[in-house]
Amino acid sequence: MSADPSPPGAESALAARAASSKLNPNVQNHPDTQLEWEFRLTPLPAMPAMPAAGAPVSTETMVELRGVTKRFASVTAVDAVDLTIRKGEFLTLLGPSGCGKTTLLRLLAGFEIPTTGQILIEGQDVSNIPPYRRDVNQVFQSYAIFPHLTVEENIAFGLKMRHVPLAERCARVEEALALVSLAGLGKRRPHELSGGQRQRVALARALVCRPKVLLLDEPLSALDAKLRHDMQLELKQLQRQLGITFVFVTHDQEEALIMSDRIAVIHRGRIDQLGTATEIYHAPASAFTADFIGEANLLDGDIVSSNGVTALVRLDEGVEVTVRAAALRPGSTRALLSIRPEKIYITRTKPAKDNCFKGAIENEIFRGAMDELRIRVAHNLQLMAMVANESAHEHAWHKGDTVYCAIHTDDIVVVEQK
Amino acid sequence: MAAPRASTDTSSGAKRAPRTIGWLLLAPLLLWLLAFVVAPTAILFVYSFCQRDELGQVVFSFTGGNYARILDPVYLGIFGRSLWYAALTTALCLVIGYPVGYYIGRSPPARRSLLLLLMMIPFWISFLLRTYAWISLLKGEGLVSSLLQGLHLLAGPLDILYTPTAVVLGLVYTYLPFMILPIFTSAEKLDHSMIEAALDLGAGPVRAFTQVIIPLTKPGIFAGVLLVFVPSIGMFAVTDLMGGAKVPMIGNVIQNQFGQARDWPFGAALGITFLALFAVAFWFLHDRGAEGRR
Amino acid sequence: MKNYLGSLFALGLALGAALDVSAAKKEVNLFGWSEYVPQAVLDQFEAETGIKVNYETYASNEEMLSKLLGGAAEFDLVQPSEYVVEALAAKGKLEPIDFANIPNIKNVAPEFLRQPHDPEQKYSVPYMAGTVGIVVNTAKVKEPVAGMADVFSGKYKDRIVALNDNREILTWALRVVGRDINTISPEAIAAARPVLAKWLPQIKVYDSDSPKTALLNGDVDIGVVWSGEAALLYQEDKKFAYVLPQEGAHLWIDSLVIPKGAPHKADAEKFINFILRPEVSVLISADFPYTNPNAEARKLLSAEQLANPASYPPPCKLETFHDIGKAAALVDKLITDLKGGS
Repeated sequence: MSADPSPPGAESALAARAASSKLNPNVQNHPDTQLEWEFRLTPLPAMPAMPAAGAPVSTETMVELRGVTKRFASVTAVDAVDLTIRKGEFLTLLGPSGCGKTTLLRLLAGFEIPTTGQILIEGQDVSNIPPYRRDVNQVFQSYAIFPHLTVEENIAFGLKMRHVPLAERCARVEEALALVSLAGLGKRRPHELSGGQRQRVALARALVCRPKVLLLDEPLSALDAKLRHDMQLELKQLQRQLGITFVFVTHDQEEALIMSDRIAVIHRGRIDQLGTATEIYHAPASAFTADFIGEANLLDGDIVSSNGVTALVRLDEGVEVTVRAAALRPGSTRALLSIRPEKIYITRTKPAKDNCFKGAIENEIFRGAMDELRIRVAHNLQLMAMVANESAHEHAWHKGDTVYCAIHTDDIVVVEQK
Repeated sequence: MAAPRASTDTSSGAKRAPRTIGWLLLAPLLLWLLAFVVAPTAILFVYSFCQRDELGQVVFSFTGGNYARILDPVYLGIFGRSLWYAALTTALCLVIGYPVGYYIGRSPPARRSLLLLLMMIPFWISFLLRTYAWISLLKGEGLVSSLLQGLHLLAGPLDILYTPTAVVLGLVYTYLPFMILPIFTSAEKLDHSMIEAALDLGAGPVRAFTQVIIPLTKPGIFAGVLLVFVPSIGMFAVTDLMGGAKVPMIGNVIQNQFGQARDWPFGAALGITFLALFAVAFWFLHDRGAEGRR
Repeated sequence: MKNYLGSLFALGLALGAALDVSAAKKEVNLFGWSEYVPQAVLDQFEAETGIKVNYETYASNEEMLSKLLGGAAEFDLVQPSEYVVEALAAKGKLEPIDFANIPNIKNVAPEFLRQPHDPEQKYSVPYMAGTVGIVVNTAKVKEPVAGMADVFSGKYKDRIVALNDNREILTWALRVVGRDINTISPEAIAAARPVLAKWLPQIKVYDSDSPKTALLNGDVDIGVVWSGEAALLYQEDKKFAYVLPQEGAHLWIDSLVIPKGAPHKADAEKFINFILRPEVSVLISADFPYTNPNAEARKLLSAEQLANPASYPPPCKLETFHDIGKAAALVDKLITDLKGGS
């Protein structure tokens, strides 16, 4: 961004949107590969033990929010949200901090009462039911493990409150300990546990109550990256195994993509977009979602012409791109386009395709598995591209190289139009 | 043996430096403790085995008689009563002070500072002045009495002053802040998600309070109980002024030995006994408290 | 010319005095009861003699003893009560006073001299005296109260303030059972015990520092108090009558004494002699309405001052205290026990 030589202004601001820096490593790209549109891996991580996203969940409704609004003094934290959560679903509330996702979770837990609107769990209005009478349990961000109780006592707490008989209580605690792989650690005190173990205690303590809905408030945010990724997989596995409805709050888009059946992108107290991970990633419905999930080059332009199959959009930077005509509504004149950086194919020779721009590499940023390239294709347009890391290879890309950027028509998403 | 080894080993010398600094930093505190805690206690201990002469001067001819005198039912009874009054005061302070301390601790910072300030303001006025203010409030022809009679809540004049009720009232008034402050500190540190977790796991407000909030604010309760219980056993000004000096407490008896009776050795023996009892109680309570937290 | 010389002479004297003061720093260290010596008296003494009086105060004989015997400060004059004078003299803690330097001793009424605590009048000079008697709020108490038996008849339960002084309390009972107030034996205590056991539960409040407060507040109607407090109450309102108990009363005499090794003994004697001047002594009476032992000073008092029954009560059987030494422990135990039982 700072390398952008063009004067600051509305146009360069648009280009600058492309320059956010989030990690999206699961794409392979090869500079030498002849351009083959088919040669692409899904941007979703293909995890061995992981059921494909959007695997069938029940169509029955578990939770329903009807026009739920929550105001604190002058601040509207949650603004007229309608949302239906299915039984056995892993739903993620994703958004930046302060977007209202945590308030939404607290409304579900019963810690907040909606200013207006209704919350139904299995058809029953629970809007005014206090948390201790809801069949909902939460895993807290801080874990909130009771320090004065042992691991066992922590896990048994909810059962004790519900007057579960001692024998059954013991059995269920043992079972829960085994479920989260903490068997044998029941007598420990919380301060004797590692962060990951405490996280498991929090999970067991909530699951042992067999809630209708399990609420998870950024439960993995305190773990280091490696452990965190293992836990993501484990948690997803567990959810599938138990069939319990999970509502998971995170600000980490990657985490959301990995784990969720559906993601609700929350922005300013509203649901910006609700869909499966692939839908959200591949077909963002707003500039916000396109920018927030993964990384994107966001480009504004005029719709110049259409032949029914493809349409031509002249970007404000002067460059023309071809998009699918089907993506446009009749009568639209302006469009906001999103191009994922890994969908930009970099070659040294000109490919015979649409949407091919010649440019110079202005910057090459080493990002581990990937290289991020900043390529200037017009005097005020810089594109961000991701390629597999080839730095050590003779074909590595270098700053100053002249290259061609090719983008498949299908990979240009019309995010907004008017 | 250690000294020559240390002088040849430079690395151990380097390790030693911070320790020296630590002791230097501690020195003022240690000197203070030595001069104002250890030394007086040692003097008291020696006195407690001495005798008094005709003028009440301490004579260094040693005897265990002072301790034998404590075992007299007269003084044992007073020990017992002092413990009972102190326990009652502590219980009342806890019942009144806990909600206040908790409320202040859970208040937003701006209000918290204001409430703490309001609580501190009475401390700017001398303790005796405040006690005399209570006397003039509670007297038969005083404000409270007139008010209650004016509201027809009371037939005759208020009869609280110079009764045990007034003593407990005075003690509670005097020591309440010492209960509120540590509970406030504990409540302030209490992670709100602990309470939410309890509610979330099915504990209603009452059980969340007894099962989670109380155990987690136990350090504050423990400190508050000690801070109220110990000084209220020894208190003599309130018993004299508001209680009309009618019901002697152990503090009054000790004060009397250093005053009117001029029997310092006996006073010292009472003081040492009191100290020993307190040490035992503290050790017992603290041990249990620590066990609870472990 | 003569006038001129006279002025010069006066100036020379004044200079000499000034030089003398700066050279010797004449001063007397007085350790006295708080609120007992008017500042005007100290100022007048300094103006007249150039001797500065450093007035340090105490609130009880016991406090004074602790400081005096602790030996930290060097005092020239102390104001102990009679039984303390006796104890200090017996222990050799007092300097004999050179009465050649105290010609004004002739002003003191004979009944205050050669008392049991200083039978040869060797160590002490009476400063002020007083009694312990009964104050009655006549607006509330209509029946006559003549003695302790009336006070503790049971009619005035919870309407009584008494001195918080174990020995005084015991004394009242000893008189009623016909004992010597200065003989404190286990046997005497046993005799007084049943009387006190009946009396003490009737007392509403014990207060030695300001027993008048409870009377003024209306919390009690009768008090057994120092005459000085009673005199102040009478000044406040004539309804507070003062009665010396018919069983007999304690006469206390506070005296000026010079502790052993006092650094300014001669100046201390100058101060004692100064105090005994009738016109100085009345200044004390004006501020503090105790019984003035100075017969010449009494002649200068107003009719109103003399009419205060607390300051100048009608004749009665009066006795001073003797030092009781270690028997104080018995008294302490008795009263502590009885109070605790109430």
